[in-house]
Amino acid sequence: MIAVLLQKTRCWLFFMIVFVTYANGQELRISGKVSEKGTGTALAGTNVVIKGTTRGTVADQDANFSIVANRGDILVVSFLGYVAQEIEITSEASLNIELPADTQFLAEVVVTGALGIERSSREVGGGAQVVNSESLNQGRTINPIFGLTSKVAGLRINMYDSKVDPQIQITMRGSRSLSRTAGIDGRGSNEPLYVVDGIPIPTIARLNPNDIASITVLKGANAAALYGSEGVNGAIMITTRKGSNERGEVRFSHTTTFSDVFLLPPAQTRFGQGTNGTYNPTQYESWGPEFDGTLRDFGTPLPDGTQPQLLYAAPSEDARLGMFQTGVNSQNDISFSGGNAVSTYFISAQDVTIKGIIPEDESRRTGFRLNGSRKIGKLTTSYNFNYVYFKKDMTPDGPWIGAYQLPANFPYDQMQNWQDPLSIGNPLNYFSPTGTSNLKNPFFQIDNIRNKTEQQTINGKIELDYQVTPWLKAMNRTGLYSLIEETRNTTGKFEAAGTRNVNGSVSDGNANYRRINNDFILTANKSVGDFETRILVGHNVRIDDKKTTSIGASNLLYPDLFNPGSRTGELNGSVGLTQYRSMAVYGELSAAYKNYLFLNVTGRNDWVSVLSPANRSFFYPGVSTSFVFTDAFPVLQNNNILSFGKLFASWNKTGNVTLAPYQLNNSYSQINGFPFGNAIGFVPSSTNPNPNIEPEFVTSYEVGTQLGLFNERVHVEASYVFSDSKGQIFNATTSTATGYSSVRVNAGQLTNSIIELNVNGDIISKPNFVWNAGFTFAYINNQVKALYEGLSSINNFRQSYSVIGEAYPTLQVSDYRRDPTGRVVVDAITGDPIIASEMTTLGTLVPPYQMGISTALSFKGFNIGAQFDWRMGGWLYSEMVPRMYTAGTHPATAEFDRQPFVWPNSVIETSPGVYVANEGLSTSSGGRAFWTRQGEVQINTAAKSDFFKLRELNISYTIPVGALAWQNAIRHASIGFVGTNLFIIRDKQNTMGDPEYLYNNTDGYLSFRQVPPYRTYGFTLNVTL
Amino acid sequence: MRTTIKIFILLVSAAFLQSCDDFFDVNDNPNNPVEETLPLKAKLPAALVSTVNQEVGQLNQIGAFWGGYWGTTNEGISMFVDLKSYNGPAIRHQRDGIPVWENGFTTMLYYQLILDEAQADSEIFYAGVSKVMLGWHFMRLVDIYNGMPFDEALNGNTFPTPRYEEGAVVYTKAIDLVTEGINDIKSALITADAVSADILFGGSKSKWAKFGNTIKLRGLIHQSQVGNQAAYISSEIQKIQSEGSDFLGVGENAFIQPGYLETAGKLNPFWESYYKSVQGVSTSFHQDIRPTEFAIQQYELRNDPRAENLYVRVDGNFSGVLFGNPSAGDADYDRANTSMFKGPAENDGFPSALFKSYNQPSVLMGSFESLFLQAEAAQRGWIPGTAKSFYEQAIQESFDYMEVDANAFATYNVQTTVNFDDAEDKIERIIEQKWLALNSISSIEAWNDYRRLGIPAIPNSLEAPTPASRPVRFMYPETERMTNNEETSKIGSDDMLNDPVWWDQ
Repeated sequence: MIAVLLQKTRCWLFFMIVFVTYANGQELRISGKVSEKGTGTALAGTNVVIKGTTRGTVADQDANFSIVANRGDILVVSFLGYVAQEIEITSEASLNIELPADTQFLAEVVVTGALGIERSSREVGGGAQVVNSESLNQGRTINPIFGLTSKVAGLRINMYDSKVDPQIQITMRGSRSLSRTAGIDGRGSNEPLYVVDGIPIPTIARLNPNDIASITVLKGANAAALYGSEGVNGAIMITTRKGSNERGEVRFSHTTTFSDVFLLPPAQTRFGQGTNGTYNPTQYESWGPEFDGTLRDFGTPLPDGTQPQLLYAAPSEDARLGMFQTGVNSQNDISFSGGNAVSTYFISAQDVTIKGIIPEDESRRTGFRLNGSRKIGKLTTSYNFNYVYFKKDMTPDGPWIGAYQLPANFPYDQMQNWQDPLSIGNPLNYFSPTGTSNLKNPFFQIDNIRNKTEQQTINGKIELDYQVTPWLKAMNRTGLYSLIEETRNTTGKFEAAGTRNVNGSVSDGNANYRRINNDFILTANKSVGDFETRILVGHNVRIDDKKTTSIGASNLLYPDLFNPGSRTGELNGSVGLTQYRSMAVYGELSAAYKNYLFLNVTGRNDWVSVLSPANRSFFYPGVSTSFVFTDAFPVLQNNNILSFGKLFASWNKTGNVTLAPYQLNNSYSQINGFPFGNAIGFVPSSTNPNPNIEPEFVTSYEVGTQLGLFNERVHVEASYVFSDSKGQIFNATTSTATGYSSVRVNAGQLTNSIIELNVNGDIISKPNFVWNAGFTFAYINNQVKALYEGLSSINNFRQSYSVIGEAYPTLQVSDYRRDPTGRVVVDAITGDPIIASEMTTLGTLVPPYQMGISTALSFKGFNIGAQFDWRMGGWLYSEMVPRMYTAGTHPATAEFDRQPFVWPNSVIETSPGVYVANEGLSTSSGGRAFWTRQGEVQINTAAKSDFFKLRELNISYTIPVGALAWQNAIRHASIGFVGTNLFIIRDKQNTMGDPEYLYNNTDGYLSFRQVPPYRTYGFTLNVTL
Repeated sequence: MRTTIKIFILLVSAAFLQSCDDFFDVNDNPNNPVEETLPLKAKLPAALVSTVNQEVGQLNQIGAFWGGYWGTTNEGISMFVDLKSYNGPAIRHQRDGIPVWENGFTTMLYYQLILDEAQADSEIFYAGVSKVMLGWHFMRLVDIYNGMPFDEALNGNTFPTPRYEEGAVVYTKAIDLVTEGINDIKSALITADAVSADILFGGSKSKWAKFGNTIKLRGLIHQSQVGNQAAYISSEIQKIQSEGSDFLGVGENAFIQPGYLETAGKLNPFWESYYKSVQGVSTSFHQDIRPTEFAIQQYELRNDPRAENLYVRVDGNFSGVLFGNPSAGDADYDRANTSMFKGPAENDGFPSALFKSYNQPSVLMGSFESLFLQAEAAQRGWIPGTAKSFYEQAIQESFDYMEVDANAFATYNVQTTVNFDDAEDKIERIIEQKWLALNSISSIEAWNDYRRLGIPAIPNSLEAPTPASRPVRFMYPETERMTNNEETSKIGSDDMLNDPVWWDQ
């Protein structure tokens, strides 16, 4: 690993030499002293560097320094926690330099608003939070979205698998939509909009986080009003790096991290394979006798006649870990930037490789970016181009699904060489002849079933800004996003009798998606006296096209030839074409009075292709205001305690269409084997269509305040948000007795009441020692107010319900019958607990309390950054539990020695309403059938989803400039340790997994398919030339 | 400058607005046809296949286990656990359960949409066929779940929470619907399209009428044990007789043949699930489903020649398994030591009782079932004709289906265990033989007969919660509890072991 790193580094050194330039002039000896502005405290250890070179020195104990420089050179004097000063050398002199403390002024924070328009934080009338590059990259994230987790109040991000292309769920300020269907671009109905340099794109998962200069999170429809429908869930505005009008810069960084699986659901280690307490060498379920340390037959004799045997005892280490390996993630980045008075450029390249925790799983992402701009008179042209190649090669869910159902002494180490005809891992010899494919040898599955994906993302924009007159500007921005995806799923043929047989199959898929987005915007500014006004008028066109093609064969002839040409039977194939068009006209009127009172009025009309012509056009308005009261009243000015104060409020209505193309009619398809040659047979889909679907409307209010306290050492932002979504477009699950399993409707109402708080401040701010801490808090009360056709409850998915008057979504589970004090009622004859006929409501599946704690400590060259994530008040349930009950691997199945037992704390109903403590009546059995029935009682699968975790830890050391003075190439270098998920505290009932790992964009649902989570740790290296 | 801008804006707006309508006109589905573009003939075959797939798959399987035909090997101990242990909540589970209700209603929607369209377009034949098949499905669901929606069923948004009606009421209405269907079919003009789309009877009006009458007879037979039904039954029989087409008789089978192909997913579904995959590899069901010891005894007791075509001998004997979990470790019930179902591969390439070829037609209702129904009806004095002759014809038809030489019947029929005249209880004799004939073909009717009459004396599952508990129905599905709970609760308790359907009180 290190060798590879060095090799790569050597390659970059070549660039360093090329890029390093020298200045030659008259040498002058400069000396000076550095102190804190205002107090005069000497700042020992200050860095003094000649700009554009690596020549520099460090001030001594008394803060004195001396350096040789040329006339015309610029000295950069910098010290941690202070604003750096630049001093041009004109003559040999003794300098007295004062550095002011570095304070971030709230009023000066630049927010990237809707349409990419930058505005000062003071004029924003909705919630907006900026996350800088440093904070984003603290955990050396690969997907930039993960870098936002728990850093923005009200933004919930869940990483929900731990394979080589982890997926995410992202929800801003609760759910507004009951709909679960994604649009043509794959963006979920409750997912925010992603905007990169002004261009809305479907996802930023493939974006290089190092290319990002900053992210502004526009929370909710109010802040993102001009985006209309798309911005109804807020927007994540990404600004990528640009070159600057300075000397060129080369940055190189490398990160290697290791991933280890953790939080496996515990399994019992007392009983081994068999049935009814009797050992069975070919049974995979753990209903056999107790482990006794003897050697026992395992499976049937091998082809050479030997009978494989295993030690009948659970190993001291969890055998299931044998299925996993340590994953390795490696990132290499390089970027070049520069510019002059008229043009800038930024070029970057990144290569990320991931070796998964499941053997043989791997992915690689290689990306390039070119950003540039040039001014030609009144015209400014800028362009961005981003190309990302991504590939992954994974096995599907299978191996792990089997692993948690296999006996505790399963010999993973003997399963890898399954190709050997005498291996017990060979499918012909494998101990269990039955079961679904998931229960085959995990390593056979890993080798034999592969899903490969190659993706090319091309994303770019061309932007023309023309300053027509000093007060009028015209801008046209054209963006392209193109995703070309090729997939190939293969299963190797393995011929054997019955369930040992594996059909060879191949499926080749192709998905091409292209989006063209164009915005044309006119902006006019006018000042009259104390008033400043700005009028913006814009026009947007969106063209989305998608084509998916798949072709395959499910019955290949040869084990190693994956081509539908070598098959028997018919060819499988399908094509899907989807088109989406939209257009919008929008306008904004902004007025400012004396730069402390702001008013903003917006309006937008959308036309969308997915609705019928009668419903296709819809208009909606918004208004927001902001008032900087510390500037308005002279008495409040220059106050050291409250240095900045702002109040803001907004009201907004947003039309939204969460409908994919072609959903107005019921489409027919051929199933059940049709067509049989020339015989055709079409059936309708089971969703009842509705040609008259209309847009849904979300109304939201927001009020809040932004405060800068104690000379802006502490920043506070607090807001209250209320949103009300009515007439929602969603598929309401209906009784199948209607003929349809769901119906597409405009119905239902969801409200969100949200309190958000964001506090950030320097606890210690001393020369060379800064301790900053931040806290984000959000309480989200997401309520269901109305549903479809007088129903009081609707099923969303599995155990997730929408219930009028309850939090959305609500977990309802089947439970035991209980007496008024909550004790379980057992059957008076069998002693078995009785299952209640009504469902029990446990609570919401989304944690209403979401908190993030960040801390950053800087001491001399050392930085320690940590991000904690804390969520409370939600529930989860795991569908792994019933399977582990049935397989006899769940610890509960061993708790009572597999014998009939008196159900703890149970009662018998002697006559209606009369309950007597059950003291001696045992259950009918303690075996498989009994426990399988208990697994069906869903209360046994649920737990609180509270957690507190150390999400990111970054410890780095920056080499002092003085230590780099001996050479000319490196201007900045740092080395660090990074780790993620290093510890987690969960509710003690939750033994099922990480509450964040929710299956496939669901709420509070852990699937039996999901691989357990991992934690990562590793090192990182940054060099700037 | 200002003028330039104005012109520019005008031009841009004009360009966009002019092409607006075309621009948005992209919402016609290019991937799938919609209702209007498809003729009825493209829809009916899919509905009929959907019906028969549920019959030979899901329903036959439930009936085969609960009707005493099937068990599993030691190796298959973890298969069909919910059916073996009568686990009602697991069976009604929305994902891992057995969705008889959901599948039934999905298929009924296909017929309902065909019916609506046919009525609007005066395509009387399609309307009649849909009514007959809807009647079939309503009765099927009552047999499994008892009370259910009828009037408000299949109405989409009009009745989002359809009202439940008593099982007996639904039965009456379903039988009336079949009657209407027969009348429609008889008055219809049969087009060439209808002939090819009707993959059940090729557009034969008389076969449809007979089939409809047989469905009604089956519905009436189901209520034989219900008190106070005599007048209703006799009036319904009267209607059948005045209609005049009679029932499905000798050689008249309701077989569905869409044109099965030798491709995965296009084989005869019973063959593909229970015998061999397209590669000719024996399926897991074939490996681990075995006849019960009880089933083998029943055939052996009568020296029944059908056994030879049904099962493979092991060491010269037929050996079965016990339904429920056989005692662990008892090698007698291992895969290798028990009789698998026989197919051509185990029969020198000749068709066997159940497995004939990958493209054998699927059985919706065999002539033998119809003849046994008629035998029972005649025995009960409902219809003219002698029960004995229906009974003997039925056995001969079963022999024929199960590939037994017709000459074997005479020897078989003289046995006192078989001969109709030797039987003390004629109904019992009819049902015993019906049970032997329906084996793995229409097993759900064997379970229905067992619930109705307790014949034959099927041993209980060894995994039953108590030795006396037997399943009498399914609980309402979880999907229904989640979406229509108020109505579902109103209709009464649905305990799987204690709350029988209306005709089994």
